[in-house]
Amino acid sequence: MALDGLFANLALGLSVAATMQNLLWCLAGAVIGTAVGVLPGVGPVATMALLLPVTYVLPADGALIMLAGIYYGAQYGGSTTAILVNLPGESSSVVTTLDGYQMARQGRAGPALAIAAIGSFFAGCVATVVIAAAAPPLTRLAQQFAPADYFSLMVLGLVFSIVLARGSIIKAFGMVFLGMLLGLVGTDVNTGNLRFTFGISDLFDGLGFVPLAMGIFGIAEIIANLTNPERRDLVSSKVENLWPSREDFRRSRGPILRGTVLGGLLGLLPGGGAVLGSFSAYTLEKKISKTPEKFGTGMIEGVAGPEAANNAAAQTSFIPMLTLGIPSNAVMAMMIGGMMIHGIIPGPQVMEQRPGLFWGMIVSMWFGNLMLIILNLPMIGLWVRLLLVPYRLLAIAVLFFCCIGVYSLNNSANEVLFIGAFGLLGYLLMKLDCEPAPLLLGFLLGPMMEVYMRRAMLLSRGDPWVFVQRPLSLTFLVLAGILVLLVVLPFIRKSRETAFQE
Amino acid sequence: MQIRNGQDFATGLFFIAIGLGAYWIAADYPMGTAMRPDTGVLPKALAWLLVGTGLILAGKSLFIDGPRLTGWAWRPAIMITIAAVAFALLVDRLGLVLTMLVSMTLAALGTPETRWREYGLFAIFMVALGVAVFIYGLGMPIRVLPQGLSWR
Repeated sequence: MALDGLFANLALGLSVAATMQNLLWCLAGAVIGTAVGVLPGVGPVATMALLLPVTYVLPADGALIMLAGIYYGAQYGGSTTAILVNLPGESSSVVTTLDGYQMARQGRAGPALAIAAIGSFFAGCVATVVIAAAAPPLTRLAQQFAPADYFSLMVLGLVFSIVLARGSIIKAFGMVFLGMLLGLVGTDVNTGNLRFTFGISDLFDGLGFVPLAMGIFGIAEIIANLTNPERRDLVSSKVENLWPSREDFRRSRGPILRGTVLGGLLGLLPGGGAVLGSFSAYTLEKKISKTPEKFGTGMIEGVAGPEAANNAAAQTSFIPMLTLGIPSNAVMAMMIGGMMIHGIIPGPQVMEQRPGLFWGMIVSMWFGNLMLIILNLPMIGLWVRLLLVPYRLLAIAVLFFCCIGVYSLNNSANEVLFIGAFGLLGYLLMKLDCEPAPLLLGFLLGPMMEVYMRRAMLLSRGDPWVFVQRPLSLTFLVLAGILVLLVVLPFIRKSRETAFQE
Repeated sequence: MQIRNGQDFATGLFFIAIGLGAYWIAADYPMGTAMRPDTGVLPKALAWLLVGTGLILAGKSLFIDGPRLTGWAWRPAIMITIAAVAFALLVDRLGLVLTMLVSMTLAALGTPETRWREYGLFAIFMVALGVAVFIYGLGMPIRVLPQGLSWR
């Protein structure tokens, strides 16, 4: 029965995803994603923010299919530059530079790229099936959630984002609080009271997520990158001998499988996602290898594992967003933004009310992965040439797209002022070495948590014990508590630091 | 007493300042009852948490060594911000073409790397692209040129 249901759902998804129009949007997303993946300093978050306004004119399923394509496309593109130019296009491909670039210097760029693409494709396919299989039961579970459970789940999500943030834990806590505070700006939905609006009418509806994300991720990055002009050396723009040898395949099989499993699991964690997946997979491969000292000198295992893991994680991170409506990272927050533009409130009800959209998006991921592998391998030379666009020009283009993108949200010039302010804030946070991702999650979850907290308190007639009396809620809170304890204890904190350094 | 970790110390002060500011603004927001928590509960709680976080950070920075604050990139920070602000202030008045030229030139002034001949060609390309994509392609209600000069 469950299996029949799965096939019926996938067939429905196929009928949506395989229309000419949606295939085109999928292709558009994959191409744009690859391009921003190749270009360092232009991340998928900023790109999705830029394209949110464009999705106004698309139907909802086309819009989400394209946005999803940008995310996993960026994972592919990021690895291309990591291998060829020793320049991670995305933070998730940082570890790919370690062995991938060494392979390229030994004239084995082709096999490295091919294995990266094949590993990503395999992981993407598996993750798509995992999403399709895991979503319905999780959705059923989510439908039993009471307000207190939602509240505690969000606490857990925020704690995860704190634990997984790079650098100081205390700073990550501060960033979450700051984000929640920013999220409260505007009208209190329950009472109609105004908070932190300073009498400015543009703030009555609250701060916009898009200007905030664009400022902190897009503008701040431009400022920082213009400060340190990079030098790019194209080592090998010509790639020969694309096809890996039988030996390469044999050595990559295990890492790809392990990377897929590990990445898929880590992608499920709130605050996790592709970056964590690729780092952990590299560490794992190094640990179980018989020759760990050779890692960093061009081991194909060090490319295969992380590349499979980051793609698997990129895709399974859709699961919490699709089933619970909770964004696990900034990219998923963008997806939620995209859904809301089309009047879809993310959460367990999406699968029932819009099954075509839900399953269409999932199946489109498989198409997207297929397109990417076709797109990327023969066209690598073309993508690398994108790197010839100097950053001094790229920065100006990105700034313009940010400005006009924010303007187009509400045709309001005042919101463009906000990205200037948030850009400065983002640059300040960068200088203070505060990672902005927890801030963004706090910003999104803060107001939701307040709503659920109020509902829970009303239902319990003012009894705060409701949060520990419901078993689900208690479980989430205990998990959150354990996580905090774990990172505060010195022994584990040390191993976490080394893990991030590697 | 000596500051051993300038970066954390500054972050601590930043958190404390924002927390205190938020508390001061939120001081007269109503708290409601336990059954119906009102507008003030979360802002005040967050303000205290932020102050507490800041105190821990600043306190720790007095005892444990860490990185100093590094220099600020004033030029790009100021010019990029001004470029965004200029876009916001001008776009409804001057139309897209002039706004883009002003804003992009301000941004180009943000880095000593800019080569002006190259930038000139790039600016023409971007303006053409911007007008074609956003005004004719997506139909955004922005003027192309200032009123009086404009045909639409």
